[in-house]
Amino acid sequence: MYTLGIDIGSTTSKCVLLEDGNKIIATSLVVAGIGTNGGIKCMNEVLENAKVKREEIAYIIATGYGRKNFSEANGELSELSCHAKGVHFADPEVRTIIDIGGQDAKVIRLNSKGILENFLMNDKCAAGTGRFLDVMATILQVPIAEFETQARSTKEPAKISSTCTVFAESEVISQLANGSKVECVIAGICNSVASRVAGLAKRVGVKEEVFMSGGVARNGGVRDALERELQVSIKYSEHSQLMGALGAALFAYEKIGAAE
Amino acid sequence: MAALQDILQEFHRIAASPQEQMKHYLAQNKKIVVCSPVYTPEEVIHSMGLLPFGTWGTDMEIKEAKAYFPAFICSVMQSILELGIKGAFDGASAIVIPSLCDSLKCLGQNWKYAVPGIEFVPMTYPQNRNTTYGKEFTKAGYQRVIADLERITGETFEDEKLHKSIEIYNAHNQAMREFSEYAKNYSVITAADRNAVFKSAFFLEKSEHTALINQLLEALKETELADVKKIRIVTSGILADAKELLAILNDNNIQVVADDIAQESRQYRVDCPIAATALDRLAEKFATMNNCSVLYDVNKGRASYLTELVQENKADGIIYALTKFCDPEEFDYVVVKKICEEKEIPLLLIEVDRQMVNYEQVRTAVQTFSEMLG
Repeated sequence: MYTLGIDIGSTTSKCVLLEDGNKIIATSLVVAGIGTNGGIKCMNEVLENAKVKREEIAYIIATGYGRKNFSEANGELSELSCHAKGVHFADPEVRTIIDIGGQDAKVIRLNSKGILENFLMNDKCAAGTGRFLDVMATILQVPIAEFETQARSTKEPAKISSTCTVFAESEVISQLANGSKVECVIAGICNSVASRVAGLAKRVGVKEEVFMSGGVARNGGVRDALERELQVSIKYSEHSQLMGALGAALFAYEKIGAAE
Repeated sequence: MAALQDILQEFHRIAASPQEQMKHYLAQNKKIVVCSPVYTPEEVIHSMGLLPFGTWGTDMEIKEAKAYFPAFICSVMQSILELGIKGAFDGASAIVIPSLCDSLKCLGQNWKYAVPGIEFVPMTYPQNRNTTYGKEFTKAGYQRVIADLERITGETFEDEKLHKSIEIYNAHNQAMREFSEYAKNYSVITAADRNAVFKSAFFLEKSEHTALINQLLEALKETELADVKKIRIVTSGILADAKELLAILNDNNIQVVADDIAQESRQYRVDCPIAATALDRLAEKFATMNNCSVLYDVNKGRASYLTELVQENKADGIIYALTKFCDPEEFDYVVVKKICEEKEIPLLLIEVDRQMVNYEQVRTAVQTFSEMLG
């Protein structure tokens, strides 16, 4: 039996197709989020990859910022519940999840059964989110994919505040005007995101093991900075971005089980 | 007897139309005194034959008030001033603004310049209220309000009349407590209904509101309790009256079983006791009030009070609606969080603001909380 989880975020859509609640058949990721056809495109792509027809899917759960508007779904759940579920399935030892997405950051605490026991979201501010990195990448004209290498190439990060994206933007420009090297500014930007998110994590209480999910998890510069801020090692998977969709697919399977 | 939904509709109508209510009373030649948050001595105003008319501001875009306030200040205060500047209280004789937090003090001082047509009457409360000198200080505050209102309106104060008004307000407190107690078990009473009942109290003369509450209680008593499994929540904070927020609570199967909201139950917990004079009764009441972020309490008993509310009402958790830039509530949150962690009571912090237009983040947080508890 197939179930599908779709995570429609602010900037990307992710799908996971699951067989019998335990085997990932296919995944897809489309760089188009809420308000676009990213959701449908993403679902069609995963079906095509798996050579599975829409009518063969027993249940679909949508999650993410666009969860309410995806008409193909049979149900919807919050992305925090889904990330918790997905990460616990992938790594049952994880007790704290740091999820930094396109426009928000969340810290989720799990118990040993993978049940969400506490969480915190950032306040309405782009600082400490993927959006912050996007803005900075545009100013520096450096692709985000290069942030990791650049941040790791220096031991002298510039000081960039973590209070506000707009203030940080003018700080970055000032740093460049004062002759700071681009890699130092990038390392400072990664530190800034980490500092902001570490504050959230400390409020929830960091319990090892710690896993990073969401799109920003791909950025090793931010992961390194978070490890330094929190003084813990942070786990990461190349599928980190898919954890919400995986959790949704798992919940979809449970729904079918409950119905039967 | 009117049907339950008809009565609830009446509460919604009143809560949504304060200006209509003002016009209604002005047409009856009533002299209106606007009562700002929080704990304005309405009984005094009522006893002088004036109509106390409460305001907690409204959800709106703030423009004019920005000339008087810094950006990072409580939007409840800002929206009250904005309403004043835009003429929402035109026809009122005065506004009484207590001094219980720093933002309120700013509101009073700014009001004098921004809305010169409606005179500002300060109500200065002491921090240490439950001592002999504290009560004397409170009484002196009342006397200042009385003197100002006598000068502005030409009406006079009599202690005997205050006794009568106190009885009307005590009866209203009792009715509000009874409503809250009843409403928690009736899934038919949504978070929005509950809030409308509380909010409407500011725009009606209190004996009229009590009569309406009593009708509601009668209708509730005749309503069968539905066997609906809901997530039982205690709300806490300054206010939680945004339509979007109340709809989100409803969408996520949440029943508000008790509240510790300043705009709601905090007003009605304590009655005026018997004392030598009516003013003493009022001062005694203020002295014994507690469990509120703007009432000085070195022991921060509010945190334990909240956990008792959870236990007494068999609640699944607490939603702490933090009004943005409200320092007293931010200070209390730390103590509340600590005790909730100790007692393993699920606690959700959400930030609310009179200028909020997007509730998606709140929606996700409330939905997650509901999924966590469900």
